[in-house]
Amino acid sequence: MAAAAPGLAGSLRGNETVSSARRARNLAWWSVAAVALLLVIAPVVWVLYGVFQQAVPNWHWTVLTQVTTGVGGGLANALAGTGVLLLGVGVLVAIVGIGCGLYLAEFAPTGLLTSLLRSASEVLSGVPSIVIGYVGYVALVVGLHWGFSLLPAVIVLTVLVIPYVAKATEIAVGQVPLAYREGAEALGMARSRMLRTVVMRSAIPGIATGIIVALAISVGETAPLLYTAGYSNSYPTAQLLHSAVPYLTYATWTFYDDPSSAVKALAFDSMVLLVVLVLALILASRLIVRVTQKHSPARATGGGGRRAARAQAAKARPAR
Amino acid sequence: MSSSARTRSAAGTAWPAVMGANDVTIGFGAATVMSDITVEFPAGTVTALVGPSGSGKTTFLRSLNRMNDKVRNFWLRGQISLDGVDINGPAVDPLVLRRRVGMVFQRPNPFPMSIQDNIVAGVKAHKMAKRSELRDIAETQLAEVGLWSAVADRLDDSPFRLSGGQQQLLCLARALAVKPEVLLLDEPTSSLDPRSTEAVEELVRRLTPDLTVIIVTHNLEQARRLSDSTIFFYEGRLVETGPTVDLFERPQRPETARYLGGAVNPGADR
Repeated sequence: MAAAAPGLAGSLRGNETVSSARRARNLAWWSVAAVALLLVIAPVVWVLYGVFQQAVPNWHWTVLTQVTTGVGGGLANALAGTGVLLLGVGVLVAIVGIGCGLYLAEFAPTGLLTSLLRSASEVLSGVPSIVIGYVGYVALVVGLHWGFSLLPAVIVLTVLVIPYVAKATEIAVGQVPLAYREGAEALGMARSRMLRTVVMRSAIPGIATGIIVALAISVGETAPLLYTAGYSNSYPTAQLLHSAVPYLTYATWTFYDDPSSAVKALAFDSMVLLVVLVLALILASRLIVRVTQKHSPARATGGGGRRAARAQAAKARPAR
Repeated sequence: MSSSARTRSAAGTAWPAVMGANDVTIGFGAATVMSDITVEFPAGTVTALVGPSGSGKTTFLRSLNRMNDKVRNFWLRGQISLDGVDINGPAVDPLVLRRRVGMVFQRPNPFPMSIQDNIVAGVKAHKMAKRSELRDIAETQLAEVGLWSAVADRLDDSPFRLSGGQQQLLCLARALAVKPEVLLLDEPTSSLDPRSTEAVEELVRRLTPDLTVIIVTHNLEQARRLSDSTIFFYEGRLVETGPTVDLFERPQRPETARYLGGAVNPGADR
């Protein structure tokens, strides 16, 4: 181009000197960003390496089939217990958390009461899990004589993660384009129908991400469960009350410094199972998004959907 | 009730209705946006609402199917009537009103669902057809707006893969599927290319006299091509109304002459 228009050559050369300074600045910022990214990735890789390195040499698939015994055995009981806890939390938090978020986004009048409700939810997400666990212990396990059992454990975990789902739902519903609502209104669609068929549908990725975050937190919690679930070496029973529930983080926390090497190995096995479980949850959320967002505008134009979902996920996490 | 009795058949359209405004004043909070509007939209005709940006055209249009109801601090005095009935009266269900008085917006706004589900969304909401009839309704409506051949083999696809013009035609088909008697168009072609604009205009022309159409447009040529009568709004007042030809050829008021000549808000006339 410069050759074709010699009159512009001088000004173009001027641009080149500017752009080399800019290139240096670009490089500097790019390096900072790359280092920051490494700082995030490195611990993840390190943790995964440490866990698998410890677990793999002593890995037996019987870990998945045998229950824990005093001298070893497997983690089948804890895995089943964590599964049951997840199921309970998933159902309860979906109902209550989505309900809260939908109320805050859609029905709550703007005013003092609503902002109080919203801050209450944010405060709740800042309460340390062990405190919530202790309250559950005093109120449910001892106070209501429920004993160490499934119901108090599920309730305590649910209370702990409701703010995440409520916030994720509120944000996701709030981000549904006004144009969808107006289109539905202009057709004479009732509000409940509009929410069901148009609004909630496009809010699903954000809500699903919130629920997955909630479940991942539940999988990893230990303190509230120590206070409410108890632990047992046998499979969880079908009873909601008066029957202790085993769970994976207990194995991680307790078996780690056991004198028996077989039991100690179980601690690392439980870490592997926890990591795999969380990865499975993330995959599940991706799958939900993929299946439900077949007709979203982001899917049609490509790329934007996942980016938007990630942005929502980031916003859905209240500061702890 | 009366509307269902008027419906000719499942595939046909309803009879057009007369809309009117009697001494209507509209505002938000302390601000008055439009005052003393009295006008009639005869059944089966196209009426264009023109005027500079901020003259209150869109606010007025949205009042005709009560889309402003939930806007903060909105108020309306006077009477807007559909076939002689006050649409803000206690006996009027806004959902039924909006089925009878449909609306299409400036930017195409298909729902995030398949093309077919988009077309029949309103039909389902008002329980106007059985499940087994939905596909036929989708085909009929898409054919009516001239989109059928383009989407016949992708009714299950996302509407967002369509071009902007096709999306707007889809929205028109969606609005027409619930058999409205009046159709409100809020600058329906302002985000479209010339060819799509032509397709929308041609459709509007085909829809009358089976439908009463009220269109807000910044495109004066479009108003001229499309409408039977034109209303000129300026600074919240109805300045002049009459047959489109008269307004453009023999405006009675100096503001009208200046605007239609392109002087008041030259940028708006593209």
